[in-house]
Amino acid sequence: MDLALQLLFTGIGIGAVYALVALGFVLIFRATNVVNFAQGEFSMVAAYLMVVAVEAGLPYWAAFIVALLGMALLGVVFNLGVYYPLRHRTYLPVIIATIGASILLANSVLAIYGPQPQVLEGWFETPGIQVGPVYLDSQYLLIIGVTICLVIFNFWFFEKTLLGKKLQATSQDKEMASLLGISVSTMIMITFIYSAVLGGLAGILVAPVLFVSIQMGSTIALKAFAATIIGGFGDVTGAIIGGLALGVIETFGAAYISVPYKDGFAFLVLIAFLIFRPQGIFGERVAEKA
Amino acid sequence: MSAPSDNMPIPAQAIHSKPLLVRHLPYFIGAAILVVLAANMNFDGYVHNILLQATTFAIAVFGLSVVLGLCGQINLAQAAFFGLGAYAVGIGTTDLQVSFWLCLIGGCVISLLAGALLGASTLRLGGHYLAMVTISFQQIVTLVMINAIWLTHGPDGVSNIRRPDLFQSSQSYLAFCVAMLAIVGYLVWHLSDTKLGRAMRAVRDNELAAGVNGIDVFRTKIYAFALCALLGGLAGGLFAGGFAYVSPDQFSFAESIVFLTMSLLGGVASPIGSAIGTGLLILIPEWLRFLKSVPGLYLAIYGLFVILIIRFMPDGIWGFVADAFTRWRAKIKTPPASAALQLKPATVGGDIVLEVTGLSKYFGGLKAVDGVDIAVKRGGVHALIGPNGSGKTTTLNVLSGLYVATAGKIVLDGTDITHMPPHQRTASGLGRTFQNIRLFRSMTALENVEIGAERPGNTMVGKGDDALTERAMEALTFVGLGSRANELISSFSYGHQRLIEIARALASNPTLLLLDEPAAGLNSTEKLELHELLKRIAAQGLTILIIDHDMTLVSEAAQHITVLNFGRRIADGESMAVLRHPDVVSAYLGSE
Amino acid sequence: MRLTRRDFAAGIAAGIAAPYLIKSANAQGATIKIGMCAPVTGPAAESGGYAIKGAKLALEAVNKAGGILGKQGELIVEDDQTTNPGIVLAFSKLASQPDIVGFLGSIRSTQVHAMAPDVIKLGKPVMIGGTDPNLTHMGNQWLFRFRPNDSYSGRVIAEYGVSTLGKKKWAVLHSTDAFGTAGGKALTGALEKLGAPSVLDQGYANQSQDFTPVVLAIKQSGADILGSYFTFENDLGIFARQLRQLGVNIPWVGSPSIVNITALKLAGPALYNTYGVADYAEDSSEGSKAFGKIYRDAVKVAPDNQSSWTFDAINVLSAAINKAGSTDPAKIREAILATKKFAGAEGEYNFDQNGDGLHGYNIVKNEKGNIVFDKHIEFND
Repeated sequence: MDLALQLLFTGIGIGAVYALVALGFVLIFRATNVVNFAQGEFSMVAAYLMVVAVEAGLPYWAAFIVALLGMALLGVVFNLGVYYPLRHRTYLPVIIATIGASILLANSVLAIYGPQPQVLEGWFETPGIQVGPVYLDSQYLLIIGVTICLVIFNFWFFEKTLLGKKLQATSQDKEMASLLGISVSTMIMITFIYSAVLGGLAGILVAPVLFVSIQMGSTIALKAFAATIIGGFGDVTGAIIGGLALGVIETFGAAYISVPYKDGFAFLVLIAFLIFRPQGIFGERVAEKA
Repeated sequence: MSAPSDNMPIPAQAIHSKPLLVRHLPYFIGAAILVVLAANMNFDGYVHNILLQATTFAIAVFGLSVVLGLCGQINLAQAAFFGLGAYAVGIGTTDLQVSFWLCLIGGCVISLLAGALLGASTLRLGGHYLAMVTISFQQIVTLVMINAIWLTHGPDGVSNIRRPDLFQSSQSYLAFCVAMLAIVGYLVWHLSDTKLGRAMRAVRDNELAAGVNGIDVFRTKIYAFALCALLGGLAGGLFAGGFAYVSPDQFSFAESIVFLTMSLLGGVASPIGSAIGTGLLILIPEWLRFLKSVPGLYLAIYGLFVILIIRFMPDGIWGFVADAFTRWRAKIKTPPASAALQLKPATVGGDIVLEVTGLSKYFGGLKAVDGVDIAVKRGGVHALIGPNGSGKTTTLNVLSGLYVATAGKIVLDGTDITHMPPHQRTASGLGRTFQNIRLFRSMTALENVEIGAERPGNTMVGKGDDALTERAMEALTFVGLGSRANELISSFSYGHQRLIEIARALASNPTLLLLDEPAAGLNSTEKLELHELLKRIAAQGLTILIIDHDMTLVSEAAQHITVLNFGRRIADGESMAVLRHPDVVSAYLGSE
Repeated sequence: MRLTRRDFAAGIAAGIAAPYLIKSANAQGATIKIGMCAPVTGPAAESGGYAIKGAKLALEAVNKAGGILGKQGELIVEDDQTTNPGIVLAFSKLASQPDIVGFLGSIRSTQVHAMAPDVIKLGKPVMIGGTDPNLTHMGNQWLFRFRPNDSYSGRVIAEYGVSTLGKKKWAVLHSTDAFGTAGGKALTGALEKLGAPSVLDQGYANQSQDFTPVVLAIKQSGADILGSYFTFENDLGIFARQLRQLGVNIPWVGSPSIVNITALKLAGPALYNTYGVADYAEDSSEGSKAFGKIYRDAVKVAPDNQSSWTFDAINVLSAAINKAGSTDPAKIREAILATKKFAGAEGEYNFDQNGDGLHGYNIVKNEKGNIVFDKHIEFND
């Protein structure tokens, strides 16, 4: 029982990381109908920005703001350089361009900063607390907390604010939105900025646990991607639930079935979902518009 | 707005005159020279390894040119299929001591089955789902290669892989691989001109249009996917024999991306492009080794190039060259004259060609179409009109099978088509055009119309490709575009594209022709031409159901009108009477 | 800037042509050339950089002391991209240059396996650092190893844990790649011979983000000592932290990566008081100390096995060529195999007929982040 509780906590912690990255995927997908394969690299870049800013002597909170501002800028550049020129083409060229962008980002960081993994200190001095039989890592607690806050924030933002509603309108029907006087390209720009910042936030939060390395983004992104499909593509709540579920499944699968095949569980669950419930947990049936 | 598809041009199909083998003789001579060269030139080990890698990789990339280039589906697991073939030969010739040839065939079969299964499970979903599933498959294959040590030797890999006795020397083995490359290249090149190839291209350019033109979209995709996997397996088997050693990291996700990039760089639509892309992406890293003093710099440039190629050379290097060539050739070539188009709509049922009873379509709580009855009489033009949001287009989409009806019955010429998928409805004699033009943009006008002429059950076309071409030419000439048959769709004006779409439907000799807002976006001259064309079609006895809100066109062309509003039928009858009906007037002008 | 399709096409054409121009501009000199395959890119790019520095330092010293056969030695590095196909191409590129007399291969065993068929074909000596015991036992007479192989590391870990630390209930943890699997096998085998079979033999996949299930398995197994083979430092770092967080404080003897500088930086206090086997330990011998000083002066970081083996390989190879008095491969081979009591950075080289130069390991201890030499265990069989 103690064992299961400890596994559950870790599973939820790692699942929250997947969920944060998955959220970025979903937002871009809803706005542009495109899967951004460079979403994981957003996390990686932000973590490196954070390391650079902290090494430059900035206090942690200031470094955090600088890193997130950097991510917002990256969102702008990414939209203008990768998505915008291809917006009238089919999904395929855009997917491939984002793959190219992910290679470009990962290796640019490698070229600039070298291959050494870096250490980023966590927010808290204490590494964690022991609650009964379960050890709660403070950074994982923070990640879970931020995920909860973001769920609430997203709900408020998309349902209660005008900007959020405009973004929603854009993602549902671009032509109708533009007829209503919403600038579609501005909305898409905002989406990319928000997604880049979210991805960056995930990267900064997870860096103290997983260290800062070139590969950190791609490994998480693949899982996050699976999480979005399990949750139902295009559904924010689904992405969060999918991410958490995946983290827990993976951790328990590793503990009770096989450690070396741990990464396989995510993908097996994913394929099972695609075959038996392609709309995911929350999504609606996918159908192409005529 | 229709999603404009990416133009991936294919040279216009030649009008056949000489036998195939004679026309392609230069290809075989060229290939034979390459094989002889490979067998006799004395390469050092480095050049030999590069050539062997390029040759085997190119075969795998040919697979991608089928699935991605011809059929427009993404495959991010080609390295996994490549690996299946490689491990089949690796494990087969060492642990199991089976002949190389059997292993090679076995590997191909395993890849083929894996590809078909994977495709069957997800190709209905398409797009991003396919991307994700292929990545998952790739990851699982890699994990199994690493962890199933009893079978795969795990990360150590399989060494001392044998070659066939016939090709023991490196030189002869390379020649053998080049020969395989030439044969596969020929088949892939030729595939695009076969019925299956045309179907794949149609699916790539526009799934909806392909479906309503009689193509089984799902099955076509599975064929393409399985074929791609098969070629991956074949290439992997040859690779394993060539390098005598395989290990899991050679077949990772990163390698799948490399295959994809090779395919894109050269030009995804043709095997020549694949060969160019493969060659460049194997050679460029070798040439750019000097860049590697800064870790990551080379790959960063590589990533940048992927973005730039997609942006500026969507058709790859070969596509760029071929595109220019096609435009030039289309200008100088005049297609042959053709006979007048004969339309002989089937007349199995009675007086009513299309009988719709109690048709409903609900989207959740929204009743887009609610218990509509329509009876279209044989011959003449029947119009379905209604203000925006009245359910016209939904009705049309239910009729052509893009939506499944919530309730009601549709009978076409005596056949109940209510539960048929789009391509079967087409086979039963339903032809249609779209409000947003849906042509196969990478093809010529003639090729587009040929797809229509290929409708199963088309009695107006004889056997063989020549008959198809003839029928298509007739249809194009009928709409007045015969002289421009070999031009690419992108060079036609909007109005002409609409005419080509109509020609495509006509070539299939339908029993009923559905026209969805044919006048939308046309200028007044084009509208007049359209009106004339409709008259000529009707004169041949083909029944037309037209959906439009252009009152002039409708009132002049149609003898019979059905009016919808809020998903319900509010009027039906002879044109002039209906247009004066008070409910219709208030629906259009708004009631007091 | 507006970039048109045509500009882009011209750019590609120029890019393709450029390497030829650069290549033809390189003039050839009268030197003795040694080829080296090293990971300049890819996951092991960092250690690849250290390896190249080690080799260059050795060659500089050799050149100052009169060079090889009176000529200056020159190192030609090709990137193996940390992949197997990469090293096959890199090696065949070097092999096609007839004036290269000897080679440095990889520290990664799978890469050596991948290039081995080409090495036999070429028939020139290749120095390797891969520690899979099979490499020098599969009839390839051209491979010479400059690190003790894994049969020794497994035996040393087992010997030290059982005899010196007196622990018998072992948990063995290893990565599932070639290195980890071979190491894990060697360790469990050695433990069985010592009469202390492992209570847990656990593999894990590289680049895992979480080790909680593994740590809990170790906890549950009741093991009183842990032996490990980690490939990547970030895995090691994550595991070490979680191990300590979940309250496992049993003694831990790890493969060389546990004392690697990156691992020390990442894991910090979580690795205090652990033991590692190290082929290179700065205080283990005079040769090690000397190398440590040269390396620190030149590179400004602490030396490790990534650089020490290439340093030794260049020295032994140069000495062997000088002793053979010729660049004939067969003569160089004889001279290398005849190398005995050669004091290198890694220890004392006594080549056996298989091509293995070293037959023992150092045990070092992590004392608050400082790596302290504990003892050397040498085997004679």
